[in-house]
Formats: sequence, C-alpha cells, structure tokens
Amino acid sequence: MKFVFTEDQLQFQDTMRGFLSQECTPDSIRSGWVDKQPLNQQRWNAIAELGVLGANLSEEDGGLGVDQVALALMVEEMGYVALPEPIAEQSFLINDVLHLFPDQIQDAIRAEFNEGKEYIAVSHPQNPHPVFLSEAKGLIMIDETSCHFVKPSDVSSELIKSNDPSRVLSRILGVKNTISSDDNFQQLNQEINSRGTLLTASLLLGLSQKMLDLSSAYVLDRNQFGKPIGSFQAVKHMLADIAVAIEFARPAVYRASYSLLETNPKSALHCAHAKYMAVKAAELACKNSIQAHGAMGYTWEMDLHIYMRKSWSLMACWGNDDYQQNIIFNTLRSSDDELGVLYTF
Amino acid sequence: MKISFTEEQNTFRQEIRSWLVANLPKEKLKSLDTKEGFEQHREWEKTLNSGNWSMVTWPKEYGGRGLNLIEWLIFEEEYYRVEAPTRVNQNGVFLLGPTLMEFGTDDQKNKFLNAMASGDHIWAQGWSEPGAGSDMAAIRTTAVLEDGFFVINGQKTWSSRAAYADYTFGLFRTDLESERHHGLSFILAPLDLPGITVRPIPQLDGEPGFAEIYFDDVRVPVENMIGGEGDGWKIAMATAGFERGLMLRSPARFQQTAAKLLSLYLENESQCSPAIQAKIVEAWAKSESYALSIYHTASKMMSGASIGSESSLGKIFWSELDYMMHETALKILGASAELDEEQHQNAAQWIKGFMFSYAGPIYAGTNEIQKNIIAERLLGLPR
Repeated sequence: MKFVFTEDQLQFQDTMRGFLSQECTPDSIRSGWVDKQPLNQQRWNAIAELGVLGANLSEEDGGLGVDQVALALMVEEMGYVALPEPIAEQSFLINDVLHLFPDQIQDAIRAEFNEGKEYIAVSHPQNPHPVFLSEAKGLIMIDETSCHFVKPSDVSSELIKSNDPSRVLSRILGVKNTISSDDNFQQLNQEINSRGTLLTASLLLGLSQKMLDLSSAYVLDRNQFGKPIGSFQAVKHMLADIAVAIEFARPAVYRASYSLLETNPKSALHCAHAKYMAVKAAELACKNSIQAHGAMGYTWEMDLHIYMRKSWSLMACWGNDDYQQNIIFNTLRSSDDELGVLYTF
Repeated sequence: MKISFTEEQNTFRQEIRSWLVANLPKEKLKSLDTKEGFEQHREWEKTLNSGNWSMVTWPKEYGGRGLNLIEWLIFEEEYYRVEAPTRVNQNGVFLLGPTLMEFGTDDQKNKFLNAMASGDHIWAQGWSEPGAGSDMAAIRTTAVLEDGFFVINGQKTWSSRAAYADYTFGLFRTDLESERHHGLSFILAPLDLPGITVRPIPQLDGEPGFAEIYFDDVRVPVENMIGGEGDGWKIAMATAGFERGLMLRSPARFQQTAAKLLSLYLENESQCSPAIQAKIVEAWAKSESYALSIYHTASKMMSGASIGSESSLGKIFWSELDYMMHETALKILGASAELDEEQHQNAAQWIKGFMFSYAGPIYAGTNEIQKNIIAERLLGLPR
C-alpha cells in the first residue's frame, strides 16, 4: 500500500500545468469565442509537440507508455484552465483503448489519427453530441449494440450551440459508408464509458479548484464595511465547504485512474464513484463561487463563468451524478462482496 | 503508486482477526459511561494490552508493536468489523500518547505510556472551561509554581471520561500576567488528589460521558508538565491535530456504519422510497472517499510529509457523514425509530448512535471553528 504518485507521474502533471498556464489564458479562450473558433489549432499543435498527444499509446503505436494515473493528473490541469481543445477525450477515448476496437476499425483509426495526434470524435449514448466534429479526421459511433467508424465527409450533421461557447457540438442526422462491428462490443463499450466518466471527473476536479482559487482571490480583494469580504465568516464558510468537497473527491478520482491502469474488475464502479464525488464538488463550487462574487459573478465580463459553463456541461455528459448513483446502487445491491471495511481495496 | 495490501499486511490482518475472534468478550459490555461498564472496558484494555494490541504504532518498549500507519488502519478495520468495545482510553492512546511521544521526557514516557497501554491509567480531557469553549485561549484556570508543585485553582468542563477516569491532561495558565494563548502550560493531573471535585454531567443519552472538574489548591508535581512553561498552546495544537486527523476517527468506523445501513435498507427495501436509495449511495460513496483520503494521507505521511490544518477538512466531512447515516437509518426504521429495544432491528443502537452523531460537529473543535481554520490557513483569507 503506497497511495502516492511516482516522480514521473508528478513530472507530467507539472509540465502540463506550466504549459497550460501560459498557453490557455481566459483571454485566449474569449478570443476563440469572438472568432467563433474555440478550438485553437496552434495550441493543439503545441500540445502535440509537447509530446502529450499519443503519449499514452503503447510503444508499438508510437507512444511513450504514459499511464492512466499520469494522464488523469494532466487532465485535471486541462480542467483547471478550461482547455477548449478535446485533448482529454482524444487521449482517453481513442488512444487509451485503441487495442480494444475491432480490427478493421483499429485500421481505419490508425490510417487517420497520425499516431494519436489527429482528432477522432466520439458519440455514445452518454455523449450523444460529439464535440468539434468539423475538426475531426473520423467519428467513432457507439450505439446500443455495436461500434462504427465513419469519415467526416460521410456524416450528415447540423451544428448545435452549447451553453459553453468553448464546445461546438453536432447533431448527427445520417451516415454512410460506415465500418461497423460488434466484435468485443461489451468490453469496448464499458471501457469507453468508464473513461468518459473518469475524464469528465478529472476535468471537474480541476475546474472546481480553479473556481475556489478565483473566489478566494476575489473575496480578499473586494472590500465592504471597510474590510475584505473574505474576513466575514459567512463568506469564509462557503469557501471552506468547497474545499472540503474537493478534498474528498480527489482521492476517488485518483483511485479510479489507478483501477483503469490495473484493469481492476471494479473499475466501472470506481469511475462512477469518482464522477459522483466530482459532480457534487463542482456543483457546490459553482453555486458558492458565484455567491462569493456577488453581482460581479453574474456578469459576462468576470472570468468565473468560463469555468462554470464548462463545469455545467461536463457534469451533464458521460453520465451525471444521478446516472452514477444508479450504477453504484445497483452494484451495492447485487454485490456478494463483504461490504464495509473490506470493500475498499 | 500501489493501492493494495502487501502479503505481510494481509498476514497481519489475519493475525489480528484470529486474536479478536479468540479474545472478544462473549457478552456485550455495559455502557462505558456507567461505573460498571467503565471497569469492564478497563478490563478489555488490559486484555488488548496482553496481546500487545493497545497501540500497534507505538514502540515495543511502551507496549506497542512498532508498526506503521497502514497497519494501524488495518487493525482498526478488523476492530470495527467485529464491533469490538469502544476504546475507553481513547483520550490516552490516541491523543495524549502521540503528544508524549513527541514532547515528553524519557521519565514522562516511562511513567505514563505503559500505564496508558495497560489501562491502569484511563485519561480524561481537560481543555474547555465555562468561559473557554471555542475560544480556548480564554482559559483562566491557574497553576502557580510553589516549591516544586503547581498549585491549581479553577474549573474545567465538558471533560470527556472524567466521571470515572484516573488522570486528566489539559492547559493551565502558569503566567498570571499573560493573555490569550501565551503563558499556558500543558499539565497532567491525577484526579484523586485532595482539592479535586468531579461533578459528572448527564449527557443527551442520560449517562455521564463528561464532567466538570473543580480545582481548589490542588498540588501537582512540576514533573507533570509536558514541555516547558508557556509551551502549552503549541503542544495542545499538536494534540488537537491528532484528534481531528486520522487518529481519533479512522475510516473503518464509518464504513462499518455504511455497511450496516445498507443491510438495514435491504431488509426494509419494500417500504423505502427512492430518496432513501440516494442516501444509501451517498453513505457508501462518502465513507469510501474518506477511507481513500486517509490511506492517501497515511501514505504521504509515511513518505515524509506532515499534515497540519488539512485535518480540519476531514473533521467536517466525517462528522456530517455520520449524522447523515444515522438520520437515514431512523427514516428507514419508520415508526420503530423511537423504540428503545434491540430486537427491533437494533433500533436502540441506531437512536443512540443518532444522538451521538449530533456531538460530532461539536467536539474536537466545532465545525464552524474548523471552517475558519480552513479559510484562514488553507485558503489565505484574513482573520
């Protein structure tokens, strides 16, 4: 038992944090909104050059063998800056499960995705509106029974506006020339679902921490009754409550990423637990942060809503807390394991 | 990173499990807040000590096994799994023990640690006073040095276990000119000295779990001071850290409650609404998260990190979780919830636990004080 990160894992996180704090500022996100080009190709390429994209592929596919734990830490940093580019999606939903796709679909992905550096979009019952389809070199569609690969030119779709201007969504109207297979479908579907759940949980952790940091800074700066509002207990306690919620979501997310790495038979439950806790933390972070900002928090000008909007979207997709609650409940109800103190490890 | 137990740790788990099966009292002990129950629990402490199980993390010379925090967590898991008796000496073994280990002299360790491990000295806390609750720096009980003795005058209150305990530890004002957290010293006082009057206070459950202690010219030898004169506040903060942190409330307690709550739900499922399902999931998810967090913290400490104000986060989390789980149990029990009878699905146990769960957000520093600590020391907000 050694529930601490390795030097390597922390190094990947640090590198990601340093890079993103320079490259993904609120101003750069806002200019993407104004230009109606929230996906910044330059930033995507820079992240690819940093070696992040495709780094978690197996070595024979050109990757560096970065593990799921390090990846989850890096994704947390992507959440912290509300990164618009779907790097977390590409890394977890395509690169990390490449070997699980049916052979002919693997071949089609390999032909298009340039060792993980080009984007492949994913639609799934828990994520019905793929993000940035227009930028993708391919689309993976998971339905109730099988997996399909289709080239973007063979997809008929319409753009839908998201409440988060950083997310460009598509509604799929029809497809042709698909490569379809139900080989290994159950496992593939489960692993993709778990990773969608985990990656949104990791992003929400980072987003919640960012909202707490913004709020702590704001209440120090804003004066009323002759002193910073952060000196009033009513305000302190709202922010302390966020800190508690984040503190106990964090180890759940870390454990879930480790379960994926170890292919733990309970990884689906662990990912559901991670998302459940992360959504509760993010909900509280949004609600108490806007309250701590007062009317300023309700403006377009204040940066807080960049992170709130992203949070609201990610809470909802890849299974909200209600969906995860059902997974947990059904598992607990049907489990033969001895519950209680021996269940955790 | 490795989140699983080693072979040695699994062997250790089997060892404590077998020992508990062989040595657990055959009949349930009476409440430790009754005279008879207190002595029964003292006997249990002696039994634990006979197997060297009093505090597995202590060095062998003081009755421990010199094991690490992970092994202590395993011990706790097995302990709660069989619902072994509440530790009547938890003030001693979990709070004062680690404090002595860090700040005590060799003489003090020799005098007090073995007697603590064996249950010969059961300890009561002596922090609060009528005018010093959340504002602990307002302590007024004085200890004046005179011919090698402190002469103590004043009053302590809410002193857990004091009704029947042998000793108390607490903060006393040794510099009469001092104010607030200056001039306080950490002193250990036998409760059978002349001039001490203990007045038990019946708690919400009707039993005297805490007491007032009156000091009237009580003479305590100067060797009973931990650290130097005026060091009391610093040492007390370390002790409070142990209490809020992983020592007092290891995760096993809450995981066991969550498991019992699930069983209670499954027995009564047909009468429960979906709102109860949501609470069952919350109980499991939060007790699981608490366990993960404590294993994460223990691993970090074993890698050389120290914890400070972070322990306030956990204290809020487990106390609110404990209340929520007991409240949910009573909802499941429905009209049986008020029955003071064990045979009705342990109704009496649940209502007793429910009442005790109200104490969680108050003791060891109220949750409001913990939130101030988090805001000021972790988030950097002004006092």
